Amino acid sequence: MTSTLEFYLINFMPYPYIPPGEDVESSWIVLSNQHYDPRIGHRLYQHYLETNVLAERLGFDGVLTNEHHQTAYGTMPNPNLPAAWVAAQTERIRIGVMGNVLNTHLNPLRVAEDIAMLDVMSGGRIISGFVLGTGMEYHSYGINPATSRERFWEAHDLIMKAWTEPGPFPWEGKHFNLPYVNPWPRPLQQPHPPVWLPGVSSLETIEAAARNRYTFMQVFSPRTALARACAMYREAAERHGYTPHPNQLAATLQIYVAETDKQARLEAEPHLMWFMRNGLKTPTYHLLPPGYTSTRSLRGILSSGSHGAVDMWDMTFDQLLEEKWALVGSPETVIAGLQEFTDELGAGRVVLCGDWGAMPRWMVHKNMEMLAEEVIPHFRPPDGKPVWAREERPAPHTLSEHAATVGKPKTAPLVRLDGVGLIDSTTAHVPELRTPVKP
Amino acid sequence: MADVTLQAPGRSPHYTKPQRIEVNGLPVAYRRKGERRGEGPPTVFLHGAGTTQLWLPFYERMAAAVDFVAPEHPGFGGTPLPDWVEGFDDLVLHYRDLLDAFAFDQVHLIGFSLGGWIAAELGVFYPERLASLTLITPVGLRVPGHPLPDLFRMPPENIPELLYNGRAQDYPDFLLDPHDVEAVVQGYTEASTFARLAWNPRHDRKLARRLGRIRCRALVVEPDEDQLVPRQHFEAWVELLPDARLERVRGAAHPTGHGLIVQEPDQAAALITRFIQEQEAGS
Repeated sequence: MTSTLEFYLINFMPYPYIPPGEDVESSWIVLSNQHYDPRIGHRLYQHYLETNVLAERLGFDGVLTNEHHQTAYGTMPNPNLPAAWVAAQTERIRIGVMGNVLNTHLNPLRVAEDIAMLDVMSGGRIISGFVLGTGMEYHSYGINPATSRERFWEAHDLIMKAWTEPGPFPWEGKHFNLPYVNPWPRPLQQPHPPVWLPGVSSLETIEAAARNRYTFMQVFSPRTALARACAMYREAAERHGYTPHPNQLAATLQIYVAETDKQARLEAEPHLMWFMRNGLKTPTYHLLPPGYTSTRSLRGILSSGSHGAVDMWDMTFDQLLEEKWALVGSPETVIAGLQEFTDELGAGRVVLCGDWGAMPRWMVHKNMEMLAEEVIPHFRPPDGKPVWAREERPAPHTLSEHAATVGKPKTAPLVRLDGVGLIDSTTAHVPELRTPVKP
Repeated sequence: MADVTLQAPGRSPHYTKPQRIEVNGLPVAYRRKGERRGEGPPTVFLHGAGTTQLWLPFYERMAAAVDFVAPEHPGFGGTPLPDWVEGFDDLVLHYRDLLDAFAFDQVHLIGFSLGGWIAAELGVFYPERLASLTLITPVGLRVPGHPLPDLFRMPPENIPELLYNGRAQDYPDFLLDPHDVEAVVQGYTEASTFARLAWNPRHDRKLARRLGRIRCRALVVEPDEDQLVPRQHFEAWVELLPDARLERVRGAAHPTGHGLIVQEPDQAAALITRFIQEQEAGS
């Protein structure tokens, strides 16, 4: 009996035309933007963005945008802009914004507004990620890492209140002070869009995700770390008195499928290694600026002795497979690996990268198509439908459905015309209807 | 309070167990020894963003001439970090309270590096509490065109080399052991407090204008070659302080660097005690 699994495609838009990782201090913060040619960048954006449209046609459950700053690893500093593009170019697929890095915003109200706008524009298809961001974001944006967590949670509390409680209300906090919180629009999904918290096994983040019943999304890491994070989430949920649904756990796994195991390896290896050795090339002192992590977590990192984020760029392709950061092989191999993944983790959602950075377009498409045709159906009910095809969209697709289910607004746009009185401006251009609704 | 249960570095022969004094509810760790204790001119030393938990040879020399008190800043060494410490204004109030707690009406205030910044801020707000001000390789001023290197984004092993001009191997007793987990955690904790105070901005833009409020005589101490604080900063401090002179501590065998109090403790202590005694004689 196979379990169900939702498939989310994440694109972070790397710019691969940079020197190899061994020749640079980092692909982040200080790698000169003179390596970036915006004409090439335009083509890359087109390529990356179009894979989201393809993902809907192929039947992925969702697509995810991403946020990083001042890096060749991901040229997507604003995750809401590509989400808007995808919302316009697709009909029904779920769109997750992973962003927003709340601490890059001077005013979190902007996030509440952007996500609400996207949710209304997309017909209620948005998943809202709230992210602490990597240590590099704090260097790049001048944000104080020593207050990063308290500021993050205050921003979170403000956004959630802005979405769920009637405005206007004042906010008097430590980091934010707003006399009027009253964002227009409000989100379409009620009480608010689903929230995901991406993180790297952080105790504090997992605990908060379980407490709020948010989906915890463990980012790219080895299977042992994924399993530990999922177990921590379940324990935390039990402490809060409930058993979590598998969908509350999303885990990242790099997946590549080809005709045979050998062929899959030939195609995947150079690209996964570009991702590891060049895209992710950054030293520990970039990853862990002072105050970014708690002393408790730091003790854990230092005494475990195992490689975590610390020396990812030194790993070999075989290590990546052995430690199950990645799953590369024939459809049979990948089906078996995914079955093991979901059995072992109890996770109901898998996140995979569309492009590791330097993959030719055909290779990205081949992987996606083989997944859709040969792998994904094994983790679906017999009809093979993605999650969005079995649920109603919060906003109807057509005007007739809208008229039948939502109807007319409760309030007519009344305006006083001199010499006439208070009229309904939607019909007052018709002479017979230009009559006062109230004397 | 943040979770700063620091372990003693222990391995350094200069480690000593601190004494504690309650300052407005905060248990402050400090060190005060020597024959002048409670008798000589009260002198408070504010340390930099490291070299905590030790009774430095420089302190020992100073303590022979003055009543030398070396407290540890909130979030450094053995002093916990209360959540109300958000910026330099909180430290200024804290150190004013500390002077009261020791019943020091006026002190000779010495600040080293980050401690120099704190000392200057204290002098700006409470000039009447300073008998003299000594700033050893101070940071905190903005000198346009001459920013400091980014200590927060530097391979940790480079920092000692920068403090001792490439000769960190000569000063093992004053450095945290990078293989000792607790030492690394202590270093990270102190760097986190430093970041809380000085991540952004990394100077006090207003300090240049405000330094004119300091009334006492000031001594600015420079090394032969400071790889952290550009030369122009020393010139600016001397120019902006109303009555300041610049003195250099020269290296006997090698050029001194930012960590000159560790490199040349005798010479540094002799220079500073002479300056303090001059002020005592003059007043």
